[in-house]
Amino acid sequence: MIEIQNVSRRYGSVQALTNVSLKVEQGSVLGLLGQNGAGKTTLLNILTGYLAPTEGRVLIDGCDPLLEPAQAKRYLGYLPEHPPLYDEMTVREYLMFAAELKGVEKRAIRAHVDEVMELTGLTAMRSRMLGHLSKGYRQRAGMAQALCGDPDVLVLDEPTVGLDPMQITEIRGLIRTLGKGRTIVFSSHILSEVQQLCDHVVILDSGVIRLDAPLQSVGEKDEITLLVTIAAAESSIVSKLRQLDGVRRVTVQPTAHVDQTTALVTFYRQNEPERRLFGLLSNLGMPLLHLSRVEDTLEQVFMNAVSGGGKTR
Amino acid sequence: MNIIYKRDLLAYFRTPVGYVFMGVFLTLSGLIFYLYNLQNLSGDLLTFLSQLTLLVMLLCPLLTMRLICEERQKRTDQLILTSPVALGSVVTGKYLAAATVMLLTILLTNVYTLIIALCGRVYMGEWFVGYLGFSLQSLAFLALDLFVTCFAKNQMTGAIAAFGANFLLWMADLLADHLPVAWMSECLNFVSLYERYEPFRLGQLSYSGILFFVSFIACCLVAATRVMDARRFSEGGAA
Repeated sequence: MIEIQNVSRRYGSVQALTNVSLKVEQGSVLGLLGQNGAGKTTLLNILTGYLAPTEGRVLIDGCDPLLEPAQAKRYLGYLPEHPPLYDEMTVREYLMFAAELKGVEKRAIRAHVDEVMELTGLTAMRSRMLGHLSKGYRQRAGMAQALCGDPDVLVLDEPTVGLDPMQITEIRGLIRTLGKGRTIVFSSHILSEVQQLCDHVVILDSGVIRLDAPLQSVGEKDEITLLVTIAAAESSIVSKLRQLDGVRRVTVQPTAHVDQTTALVTFYRQNEPERRLFGLLSNLGMPLLHLSRVEDTLEQVFMNAVSGGGKTR
Repeated sequence: MNIIYKRDLLAYFRTPVGYVFMGVFLTLSGLIFYLYNLQNLSGDLLTFLSQLTLLVMLLCPLLTMRLICEERQKRTDQLILTSPVALGSVVTGKYLAAATVMLLTILLTNVYTLIIALCGRVYMGEWFVGYLGFSLQSLAFLALDLFVTCFAKNQMTGAIAAFGANFLLWMADLLADHLPVAWMSECLNFVSLYERYEPFRLGQLSYSGILFFVSFIACCLVAATRVMDARRFSEGGAA
């Protein structure tokens, strides 16, 4: 549905994006993560045809927004970081304007706008001036204009920034609803938000893609690490753990009790680590006080990606 | 184009801009009419209209400064420029909205024509040529200002730059007299809006003048479209 091919963008001497390539499949929700200034907004602006890339190109369903703007932009709905609202218009007037702009047939505009207002919870605000709306409703109005024309692709730039917790929950619920049947690309620097809403994650750092992977596989590695606390002295257990079949390494953690050992035991993924560990300890007659799997969270992956600098695919 | 035109026209009258422009223009033109026509008991409509040129030069930037600059400042251009609407239609729609306010204001100055008609005599041919020339010249200033404001990042700098450009083109013929190179003088005389308006001021229907003003407006709109398009590639982003 969306293909970004070797896109680079410079602002004078500042390199905002470097050789960014990614594909977004139809119907998927892609979360674009990155710190402030990572290049998220620039990438989204290029994707929507608002900015031109210095190098590379973007294809939306095979159409380049710069070469075939009318065709490519017909598929798009864009909510920029600051909703593009005309304060002197009412909600209804604004959405009718947006719908006409997006090419909705004249006779269908009223019904379409009513539907969009219903979906975004703006019906009660239809006659209010946009300039008089609260931040949450302004965001909804921005979302509503992005939905005008029923676009296949929704591009949302930090849709929950600056909202209170209640409004954030509402907007997230709305994105979840809209995600059914649509391709959504949205940027955020809130990791939990991406975790809740996306099925694919891209981490951008200093204009370079550091991670491009399905959310399910984030943190997936070829090894499993267990955090264990065993009621035994370090000298009596560590060597036995290292000799256990399938163990890659054992890292002893500091503990206050001399008769207990806390360690990170890393197994190769194909082995059944808990079963092997229980077997060993029951043979040795050493009680197990704590056992948990150490999984890589998106937060850890993000921190590794932005500090490590290596590209992961 | 139609949708952009309707929105921008609505915006002029939903904000004070349209009213301020019309109010100031009509008040000052009334003052000029009183001082020149009423005090001197003159029914000379053509000279009265030519004196309004200064008002057009001063006030045109008020109409155009918001068209592109305000959209850029408030980031509402992101809606328009990411919609399936041709950039040329956006520029033309915006220009036509400003042109409508300008022509409406010019139309209202016919109150003075009515006063002259009540106290003396108005020659219809003179009236037609005078208003045609004045309207075309005003629309040319409007197109020039729209083009100039495409380069500005905020409304104030856009308005000042447009005001400067108006004066430059109005006085181009004066500058031409002092240039030592003949072809440069000819060029400046060619683009001088004063020179082009002169036949209309004298009551002559100038077809070359009409052609010039129409071409000038078209060139400014095409250039404004190109500038906006080029901004996608330039530093700081699109319009």
